[in-house]
Amino acid sequence: MNQVRKKVTPFDAFLVALMVVLSCIFIYPLLNMLALSFSNSQDLKSLPVYLWPIGFSLESYKALLSDNRILLYYWNTIQYAAVGTVIMLLCTSLMAYPLSIRALRGRRTISILLTITMFFGGGLIPYYVTIMRLKLIDTFWVMVLPGAISAYNVIVFKTFFMSIPEALSESAFLDGAGHFRVLFQIVLPLSKAVLATFALFSIVGYWNDYMTALLYLRDDSKYPIQLLMRRLLVLMDYKDATTAQLLKDYRQISSRTTKAAATIITVVPILCIYPFMQKHFAKGVLVGSVKA
Amino acid sequence: MSEMSTRQDLLKGSAAVRKEMPFRTYFKLNWVLYLMLVPGLLNLLLFKYLPMYGIVVAFQNYTPKGGFLGSQWVGLKHFQAFFRDPYCGRVIANTFILGIESLIISFPAPILLALLLNELRYPRFKKVVQTISYMPYFLSVVIVVGMMRELFSMTDGPINALREMIGLERQNYFMMPSAFRPLYIGSGIWQGIGYSSIIYLAAIAGINPEIYESSVLDGANRAQQMWYITLPCILPTISILFIMAVGGLLGNDYQKILLMYSPRTYSTADVVNTYVYRYGIETAGNNLSYSSAVGLLLNVVSLVFLVVANFVTGKLSETSLF
Repeated sequence: MNQVRKKVTPFDAFLVALMVVLSCIFIYPLLNMLALSFSNSQDLKSLPVYLWPIGFSLESYKALLSDNRILLYYWNTIQYAAVGTVIMLLCTSLMAYPLSIRALRGRRTISILLTITMFFGGGLIPYYVTIMRLKLIDTFWVMVLPGAISAYNVIVFKTFFMSIPEALSESAFLDGAGHFRVLFQIVLPLSKAVLATFALFSIVGYWNDYMTALLYLRDDSKYPIQLLMRRLLVLMDYKDATTAQLLKDYRQISSRTTKAAATIITVVPILCIYPFMQKHFAKGVLVGSVKA
Repeated sequence: MSEMSTRQDLLKGSAAVRKEMPFRTYFKLNWVLYLMLVPGLLNLLLFKYLPMYGIVVAFQNYTPKGGFLGSQWVGLKHFQAFFRDPYCGRVIANTFILGIESLIISFPAPILLALLLNELRYPRFKKVVQTISYMPYFLSVVIVVGMMRELFSMTDGPINALREMIGLERQNYFMMPSAFRPLYIGSGIWQGIGYSSIIYLAAIAGINPEIYESSVLDGANRAQQMWYITLPCILPTISILFIMAVGGLLGNDYQKILLMYSPRTYSTADVVNTYVYRYGIETAGNNLSYSSAVGLLLNVVSLVFLVVANFVTGKLSETSLF
């Protein structure tokens, strides 16, 4: 059987070729952006860029990175991602721990209340009205609080907590520890892999989110990076004063190379993070699918 | 029962003790557990259940002054208004066509990729391909649409340059109603296929290797193994994901559509969710009640889809979500 397995058939060769082609398709748009971002706008004009920059210049990166507004948007995003992720991990752990105790009274009711939110919600506009009524429009908190609890996260955390041997917490109880100490000194340290996976997913989620900010933030100085990208890449709305100003500032350079450089600057942190996630997320995805 | 073990049982909320105990005593001993639940429950109340209650605005003429309780009650007026709207038919048709086309084309794609990756014999090469394949999943929708706009740009994108080279006319894809669905579905597959395939690969990895070994003894080739072993073994996973996909069918990815469409492409790109957004939010909140009603219709139909898909899949493959 081993010999049969080792023989390379035409099918194997075809598979390898297919996978190489697919990989190129996955990666090409980013390579194209990279090449465009390093192109020199004088040589570029309206020429298409394929894989290699036309001319070579760092002008777009210099312009972007010396712009205080962009640094501010970057900093805002980091704040939302950091605070939002810490709140999410804390609330989720605190909720999952009691639910992981089988004998908790009211456990079923709370689980049902939680599960309902997976299948039904108020919808965009009632949610928008709620945020207005809670007076959260244009505050820092609207970016970090609403996402703190998701039923899916709580269920995965709960399932993981239940897989931790009870003997560990029992001996702590005998030593006089309370629930808070058991959670923070025994359960959570044993759940580092799950915490890390969900932290990374949450950070990526905050990094990539534009809708929350678009809906609920009014003040320009609170904007995250994705809203700036939306203005640069998609809107091109000259009626919008800030966008017009941005484009005017960068007109000396080409708006194309600027857009490409902004794309690369926004994407680089994600590209640095995601390969570290894969070790864990295959398992995370699986746990979720089994329980769902 | 020693005093120590009683305390331990109480802390764990142990079943043996709890039956004999009135809730007050139980609560006194375990109040910490309920304290832990407070932030989460508060969050659910404010950001999940309050918006559900907020659905009442669909039956009112909501004004910020009146709020949820004080606004004028108008019953089904907004629902009737939607069905009289000249764009109602177009928006509903677009929602269904886009959702069903996406489902038919996008749903099998990651299954196929997983099956092919599974046949790949070089583990390191396979790992590299996989890492590359789920990279797009982690890019934001703004970046993806931005890159598409550059690649498909009328004046300076590589795709139109190539078209010109082989003698075809340049096309302004983002202004063409007929190009919207292919662009939307294509970019969706590009972004999601690698990530979605992980779950199927994990299911395949869980198949007992002895089944393959005995099939080889029976003379099965690789195609037969794929068809008669791998596929049936991952069918439960496929069913669960199919039910969820049907439940999300009508939701569309409106965050992406909002970035892709323009009045020129409304004829194919405007779906219920983008319509709700435009009327509810972009008009500075004058039609909040009307657009809530439209959104509610969509949510209810989506829920019905989920339940029906769950029922049908349950009958056919004995796997269901709930």
